[in-house]
Amino acid sequence: MIGVSLSRWTMSYFAAALVSLLAAEIMMAASCGFPSAAIAAPETLILVHVVVIGWLSLLMCGALLQFVPVLVAHPLYSNALALPALVSLVAGLAGLIAGFLQLDGRIDAGIPFFPFAAVLLVSGFALIVWNLVRTMMAAQTIPLPAQFVGVGLVSVALTVVLGAIFSLVLGGAVDYAPFASLTASGLPIHAVAGLGGWLTFTAMGVSYRLLAMFMLAPELERTGTRAAFYLGTAGLAVAVVGGVLAILSEGNLPIVLLAAFATGLLALVFYGRDILHLYRARKRRTIELNSRISAVALVCLGASVALILLLLALGGLDEHIGAVIFLSVFGWLSGLGLAQLYKIVAFLTWLECYGPVLGKAVTPRVQDLVVETRAGKWFLLYFLAVCAGTVALLAGFPMGFRFAAVALLVATAGIIAQLVRTRRLADVKAAGRFPQGAQRPRLLRSHAA
Amino acid sequence: MTSTFVELDVRPILRGGGEPFQEIMDAIAKLQPGQGLRLLATFKPVPLFSVLGAKGFSHEDKPLADGEWEVLFRPTGDASEPAPVGAASETSEWPDPAQHLDNRELDPPEPMVRILAATEVLKQGEVLSALLCREPIFLLPELAKRGHAWRGGFEADGTTYKILIRIGVAGQAAA
Repeated sequence: MIGVSLSRWTMSYFAAALVSLLAAEIMMAASCGFPSAAIAAPETLILVHVVVIGWLSLLMCGALLQFVPVLVAHPLYSNALALPALVSLVAGLAGLIAGFLQLDGRIDAGIPFFPFAAVLLVSGFALIVWNLVRTMMAAQTIPLPAQFVGVGLVSVALTVVLGAIFSLVLGGAVDYAPFASLTASGLPIHAVAGLGGWLTFTAMGVSYRLLAMFMLAPELERTGTRAAFYLGTAGLAVAVVGGVLAILSEGNLPIVLLAAFATGLLALVFYGRDILHLYRARKRRTIELNSRISAVALVCLGASVALILLLLALGGLDEHIGAVIFLSVFGWLSGLGLAQLYKIVAFLTWLECYGPVLGKAVTPRVQDLVVETRAGKWFLLYFLAVCAGTVALLAGFPMGFRFAAVALLVATAGIIAQLVRTRRLADVKAAGRFPQGAQRPRLLRSHAA
Repeated sequence: MTSTFVELDVRPILRGGGEPFQEIMDAIAKLQPGQGLRLLATFKPVPLFSVLGAKGFSHEDKPLADGEWEVLFRPTGDASEPAPVGAASETSEWPDPAQHLDNRELDPPEPMVRILAATEVLKQGEVLSALLCREPIFLLPELAKRGHAWRGGFEADGTTYKILIRIGVAGQAAA
């Protein structure tokens, strides 16, 4: 065991992710994409991919480059591979956006953007998956939270492969009949693998460890935790493998997806039980802002599931799928992401700056890098905006959604300003900010050991 | 017999003000059985000798021009990975701990802060014992940089992690 040091490029991933989040919120505030445009319109597809690749996937990749080593107690396989992966992903996203604009007839350049995007995104995610899988393979044990991440990595690979098939067919590079069928009907599978398998399942795994760590709660690896893992994996397998087979054999895709949802729902019930247990069994009575905000995000996950059940019961899931996706993406995934980012940036910055002088000089505490009361107000506005946006979508009130998007944008900008202040150590008293030997952090790149 | 050496030149990293510990450990992890490491550094990397010694490598150092050093690390085939505490043969060479810390109820990263503060006070060769509620993943590279050796593992209850730290050549680690 030789421990884990700082991941060099994680802050760059976070910065690129946050820029994408702001861009997506600006698009929503400017009525670009759903609900002003149709849910399958190119504009909406641009918005969706800026959110899921630009914001959530870059955030997740940056976080995993730092935390997979922590989960398996083994150093990252390669710090050097992280940068080409980031460049490839950002360029791939740009290519994808250009491809959608081409689809919409807004740009008429003869450049085959979709195939370029497919190659770049496949390469970028392949570099990430390779780096993380090699890290896991070198570890002595792979605890359950890391196994969740493992399933997440398989899911992102499947999501990207499906997406690449869509791009090649839409870009006219391929006309193989089964690929055309997948492109015509495979969107729900692509979305379930991406939002469910990659983003949600990975977030679940990481949350087990992060919540336990920050609240001094016991590490959970009990029967219920394993049940959540196996049921979730089974649900994803049914959705992706079963779904693809259903499309290719012209079977009943909705039934397959319903079976996958039922299995996934059971997994979420076990997960919810575990998380409640973590909050209740914590030794730290007064929890920090990140853990309080994570609880709100977890409530949004529960609310998203409840909304799906309600819409299934009443009929109208198809009509309101936009509201469900908005609530789960902005309330659950983005809410959890921003909450954990708030703590992770402070912790990593503290470790980078003061690690070398700990015990040798008086150093600030991690909490001295943040001002929770100030950040708390921005988070409150953020979640109010998520609620308002969801209600506006359900009520079919696009103008209301636009106002909610503006509030979301303002709140996010406020949170980002706090993150930049933390990184710059702006809230640490000037007198003790840089004791002799401390390492001044750069905004976008860490001094990796 | 070591037949081949993989060369790692960390001089550019050191000249750039960087810290090559991770690169060195990565290179060690990638060695094939029987392979050794030829390390080039801008100073004699004394702290590494104990760290890699515990991983089963002997060393042979040779000064180069301009105060730079070449060190050959050879696998000796008797790696002693930090074993779980309780393996009597492992702990018998170390003196009894001069100080005990119980950091299980502390908020992170306070356990790390207290351990590093204690290591600055103890004398070379003395041992610090600390109880934690998880593996101190971010502490270990810092201990290595400061030239301390450690052994750690979970106790039988599966929730308490006990680490023993022997104070090493801390003064030279800052070189």
